[in-house]
Amino acid sequence: MKKYSLIALMVLFSVSFWNCEKDDLCAEATPTTPRVVIEFYDIANPTELKSVTDLFIKELNTNDTLVSNDALVENDINRYLFNVNKIYLPLRTDVVESKFNFILNKNAVNEQTDELTFTYTKKDIYISRACGYKTTFEITNPTTIIPSSSGNWIQSITVENTSIDNENETHVKIYF
Amino acid sequence: MKLMLKYIFSLTIVFFSLQAKAQDTIKKYPERYGLRVGVDLHRLAKSFYDDNYKGLEIEAAYRLTKKFYIAGEIGNEDKTVDDDRFNFTTKGTYFKAGFDFNSYENWLDMENMIHIGLRYGVSSFSQQLNSYKIYDPSNFYGENVIYPNEKFSGLNASWVEVVGGVKAKLFNNFYLGFSLRLNYLVSDKKPDNFDNLYIPGFNRTYDGKFGAGFNYTLSYFLPIYKKDKDKIKIEKATNND
Repeated sequence: MKKYSLIALMVLFSVSFWNCEKDDLCAEATPTTPRVVIEFYDIANPTELKSVTDLFIKELNTNDTLVSNDALVENDINRYLFNVNKIYLPLRTDVVESKFNFILNKNAVNEQTDELTFTYTKKDIYISRACGYKTTFEITNPTTIIPSSSGNWIQSITVENTSIDNENETHVKIYF
Repeated sequence: MKLMLKYIFSLTIVFFSLQAKAQDTIKKYPERYGLRVGVDLHRLAKSFYDDNYKGLEIEAAYRLTKKFYIAGEIGNEDKTVDDDRFNFTTKGTYFKAGFDFNSYENWLDMENMIHIGLRYGVSSFSQQLNSYKIYDPSNFYGENVIYPNEKFSGLNASWVEVVGGVKAKLFNNFYLGFSLRLNYLVSDKKPDNFDNLYIPGFNRTYDGKFGAGFNYTLSYFLPIYKKDKDKIKIEKATNND
């Protein structure tokens, strides 16, 4: 009996060490705060995706600029220029409005700016010890993201999904 | 790692005191039965040196038969955890009841224990979420820390606890003990949109249902009645031959 209890003690001992392992790293695959998934379409052919050229995006209240290629150094302008047909736009989690300048053909002669304002409600949702909380959004101004019906280079915006709670679907389509 | 050293240190001390007690005299030594009451020194000490912790645990064990003890702990904890993503305060009371089985064959007047046992623990507590961070992988606007100061009351949890430990007589009726506990969560009433990351009595929770703990007790044995030991010894000897 003494032997058994000693073995039981030792097992208990080792299992408790096991438990000291860290589970403090947030796994990359965990869905956390989602960004707005925006796709760009050709106004002349609305079912066709169309890539933007040298699109520069800046949040106006924080002056933060969206990075397209974080492999480049910080003073390289190409770090901030998008030439794709799909972008992921983060919204501010501390306030219920994010205002952006979408500048097409940045630093070219045909540079054009449109101001997009997203107003929304937000909700903080518990994920785990390692990840903390995430914020999900509900867009409340789907028809007035650009105040006038059409902008300078953006011809039309449609909000496909006002609930921003994951990044698996397209939330906003921009036609130009 | 710090915790590991603490375990090893405590175990070594208790084992040494176990060995130091062996003596040889020819005398009749009755087995003493009664109630042992103790206090967890670790929780007590931590209350003094750790600003984020206040806690006390009282343990009691009643010797029922030669080897079986009815045992239990009652405690109260107030702990603030400052994690990477959160800062929260857990306050609550817990109660554990079960038994210990002493597998240590005591010689003469020795009254030491190497025990294993089981407990069922219940805890009633509240969680106060002091602050949390929003996990935003894009990290576009920098970190957003929110201070909701939200209190979740009326929470509870229960668990099964496997206990293994040693107890050594220090002097007179005083004992020093160390025990390790492996917990398995049975029920867990979680707060809305938060989690029980710490449960009084259970300690830190993990992704699964397991948890672990230990205590380091100083206890006093209150003898109530005595039984003769020699009878049992003679019976054993004839069986073996």
